[in-house]
Amino acid sequence: MYDVIKSTMPFLLEGLWVTFQISMITIFCGSLLGAIIGMLRTLDSRLVTYPLGLYIHTLRGTPFLIHLYFVYFMLPSTGVSWLQLEAYAAAVVALSLYTSTYVAEIIRGAIEAVPPGQNEAARATGMTRLEAMWYVVLPQAVKMMIPPMGGIYVMIIKGTSIVSVIGIAELVRAGEHATQRHPRELMLIYGMTALLYFVYCYPVLRLARWAETKFGSVRLPS
Amino acid sequence: MDWILDFYNYRVVAQYLPEFARGLGSTAWISLVALLIALIIGTLVAIMRMSHNPILWRIAAGYVQTIRSTPLLIQIYLIYFTLPALPLLDRRLDELEGGIIALGLNAGAFMSEIIRAGIESISRGQNEAAQAVGMTYLQRMRYVVLPQAFARVAPPLLGQTAVLIKDSSLVSFIGVFELFGAGLVILNERLMPNEGFLTVAACYLVIYTIMLQVTVFAQRRLGGTANA
Repeated sequence: MYDVIKSTMPFLLEGLWVTFQISMITIFCGSLLGAIIGMLRTLDSRLVTYPLGLYIHTLRGTPFLIHLYFVYFMLPSTGVSWLQLEAYAAAVVALSLYTSTYVAEIIRGAIEAVPPGQNEAARATGMTRLEAMWYVVLPQAVKMMIPPMGGIYVMIIKGTSIVSVIGIAELVRAGEHATQRHPRELMLIYGMTALLYFVYCYPVLRLARWAETKFGSVRLPS
Repeated sequence: MDWILDFYNYRVVAQYLPEFARGLGSTAWISLVALLIALIIGTLVAIMRMSHNPILWRIAAGYVQTIRSTPLLIQIYLIYFTLPALPLLDRRLDELEGGIIALGLNAGAFMSEIIRAGIESISRGQNEAAQAVGMTYLQRMRYVVLPQAFARVAPPLLGQTAVLIKDSSLVSFIGVFELFGAGLVILNERLMPNEGFLTVAACYLVIYTIMLQVTVFAQRRLGGTANA
């Protein structure tokens, strides 16, 4: 057993490194896109909020597996050259789109949780809408976003396990390879894989909980 | 009309309609059984979590945190590939059973948190009044606390159920045929990703829309002034 651990651990750690990279890129891109969508959703114009609501509900109503296959298999079939993504890019794009829907709702919830008087007062002092948002509303909203964002980050980490299906050598894939070399040690290897995910995710969840007791949290619109 | 056929050949989809119907039925069945397992586990774990016995609540907390910190895919693999023959059944779980149990265990952990919040939101007086009329612990839970708690958390539980239905697509990884598998059939036999996955996506969207409406309905019926 010790031999198996010793021989497979380096490969699993390599897989964890890829998982880490993908999750970092995704949390960045997904949050950026989600922040833009979330802020646009707080506007009054139905012309903006309706299509964005449709986008959010469509992505939330379908499994992530579908998004991944959509980006990896269906976009290339359109024949447009810049939509021919290779596996790694497809995984990041699909995960980022998926993440953005959750981030958008968190941002919207946090912005709407800031008392409207704050915005009105800022506008009354002559700030533009953008300035009021940037200097007054957002700084107050950001604190409340930390706990749910921790949850989103863990969701992304767990979501990266699914991109193993299009051949990316992340943690689950690394585990699958290891089981092919040690077919008798399935439980040990998948157990180790699960443990590595736990080691990555659990501190994030703890941190999110700590932030929640410290800053409070957003009540998400369901 | 050629461009539509190029992009989405509905005639092929029509040919595969029986497959989609079978997949839809399978997804519904898997989700339903997993939901029942999840509700039972969720209730037990929620009660254990609130127990004063440190062994009980630590086990419950460890279970919830383990499930929340590991991907569902790994949970499915662990249960399907590594669970040895069960002593009572005297055989290993087949892929459908393994998938359903993994889904149930996963959703159970998330639902236990929701149910716990529901139980904790029931005012103490309810429990004390039930105690005063001489009910045992089980009776208090069964007749007084749980019915009120479930009524209050029905909307979030329905939301979690919608997640469970989406997650059930992952059991296709261990070879269970369900809605997503029906899309894979078209991809593999005809090399037509659009026909397969757009149809599957549409089916999931319909399910999701129905779940959303049911949630709104539950919110309106159960979240009235009496519950405020």
